[in-house]
Amino acid sequence: MNRAAPERTESVKRPGSFRYRYKHTAYLMLLPALVLLGIFVMWPLVMAVIRSFQDYNSGEFVGFYNFKYILKTPSFVKAFKNVLILTVVTVALTMVTTFLFALLMRSLSNRMGYFARACVFVPFFISGIVASVIFNLLINYGGGLFTSLLIDAGKDPIAFAVEDHWPYFIIIAITIWMTFGYQTLIMYAGLLQIPKSLYEAAQLDGANFLHQTLFITIPNMKNYFVLVCISLVTANLQMFEIPFMVTGGGPLESTLTPVMYLYNSFRDPGRPQNVTIAGALLVMILIMVINIIVFKTVRSEKSGE
Amino acid sequence: MNKKGFKNRLIRLTKNLLALLVVAAILFPIIWMLPAAFKDRTELFAIPNQFLPEEWSLDNFEKVFTLTLNGYNFTSSLLATLVVAVIATALSLFINMMAGYVFARMEFPLKNVIWWSVLITMFIPGITILLTSIRVVNMLKMVDTLMVLIIPGVVSAYNIFYFRQFFLAIPKSLEDAALLDGLGHFGTFWHIFRPMSTTPMIVIGISVFMGYWNSFMWPTLTVSDNAQIAQVTQIIRVLSDAYAGDYGVVVAASLISIAIPLVIYLIFQKKILEGIATTGLK
Repeated sequence: MNRAAPERTESVKRPGSFRYRYKHTAYLMLLPALVLLGIFVMWPLVMAVIRSFQDYNSGEFVGFYNFKYILKTPSFVKAFKNVLILTVVTVALTMVTTFLFALLMRSLSNRMGYFARACVFVPFFISGIVASVIFNLLINYGGGLFTSLLIDAGKDPIAFAVEDHWPYFIIIAITIWMTFGYQTLIMYAGLLQIPKSLYEAAQLDGANFLHQTLFITIPNMKNYFVLVCISLVTANLQMFEIPFMVTGGGPLESTLTPVMYLYNSFRDPGRPQNVTIAGALLVMILIMVINIIVFKTVRSEKSGE
Repeated sequence: MNKKGFKNRLIRLTKNLLALLVVAAILFPIIWMLPAAFKDRTELFAIPNQFLPEEWSLDNFEKVFTLTLNGYNFTSSLLATLVVAVIATALSLFINMMAGYVFARMEFPLKNVIWWSVLITMFIPGITILLTSIRVVNMLKMVDTLMVLIIPGVVSAYNIFYFRQFFLAIPKSLEDAALLDGLGHFGTFWHIFRPMSTTPMIVIGISVFMGYWNSFMWPTLTVSDNAQIAQVTQIIRVLSDAYAGDYGVVVAASLISIAIPLVIYLIFQKKILEGIATTGLK
């Protein structure tokens, strides 16, 4: 599978001045993008790095003090652990279910498959805030649909936002619901690029569906798995709106996430901001490390083939 | 009919049913919500809970459009959100597509260095620069204006990357003729490449529009003191606290807020679904 971009080939080596004759136009056309990235991404990033090593009040450089402080802040550590658990479960479930559903899509007729894909894509258009409102109609303790059904069945209603492990399940369910359609499309696109000839050859050899899936489909989907995995991990580690609306981080901070911690500390003068910034940098490092690991694993597997 | 044909039909039927089951499960929460917006407050969380209201009422919608709450007003929010999302989408398409064109089709000194520094920004999570970004927009005196909602999110390395990949696949002979005609690079981009890019423009355009339409944290932290331009998500959040006892109002507001994107989806569905399937990854 070749995902490398086709590069422009210049057959004749031209002298630099001719090759670059449009350089002023090029810089001019890049200017808006570069200026805005500089002001709204690079500047804040540099500022964040500097501040994470400074004392909030005096501005003195304090080494790794802020990082040590945030790692000793129980709420933040708890938030970090929560989001790791939520991310692992959500990403695993999303990947398995969207892959299986995409497999099903491929074996349907064109019309039916298109209809199903178009329908499951609808939640893509719904924000975490509105999704939480929609699901509240189902899980509301006072009289949502599930409470009503449980009472009908003669059982006690469940307080989904606070009881046992229910807050986790609900947050994970809504998160998967929101991304399922989009990720199914990506998985489906991946399935479509696998050459049909591979399957035909395997069928001649008498390979059944399971064998074909294990030895043709899954190895050929590797790049797509990486992409889906990285984008899901990056998004889920920054989970905020759904836990914020459904549980508010409770009960007892068990669904608090790092982004929610950041959000809460924004207007809380009791929390030194440079410490929070150090925490945000740790989240970035974690995301980058995970991305690199996923990339490396796949690459080394490839070279081993 | 022979046995094998029957078995195949049975398998196909099972597959279709399975697909429909998943579709139903995904759509169910939305379908359940539709009539709920027309229920009054006693019916909404009544036990037993009915799908359809006993009496269809427009009260919730009337309240949504007439209420004012700490200066929050749903109609002006809806308008402000639409203005922000439309302007941002147009700007974002123009700037990112132009940059994508330059990286795909032009040569200039330091190209690689600039390209990599753009790419790196793709891996900086929003959360990491959130607090310092607020400081930056504070220094630029953008807080509580429409500008702070629109400008900071306009450029995205991912979108530049996406357009670059699309433009790289276009044969070089195309712009050579245009350049010889004296159209210049901007002219070539605007008159030749832009009209060819409908599908990626729709895919990126929709995702930018949805990002703005649904954004919550950034507006909450940057325009909290200007209720006039509060975004729809903000007002729904405020309502969900203030109207917890009259939740139909929140449901009605949510329904209105998803109606606009869903209409856009209905119009462009084919392009969106195909666009993600074909150009979604490169």
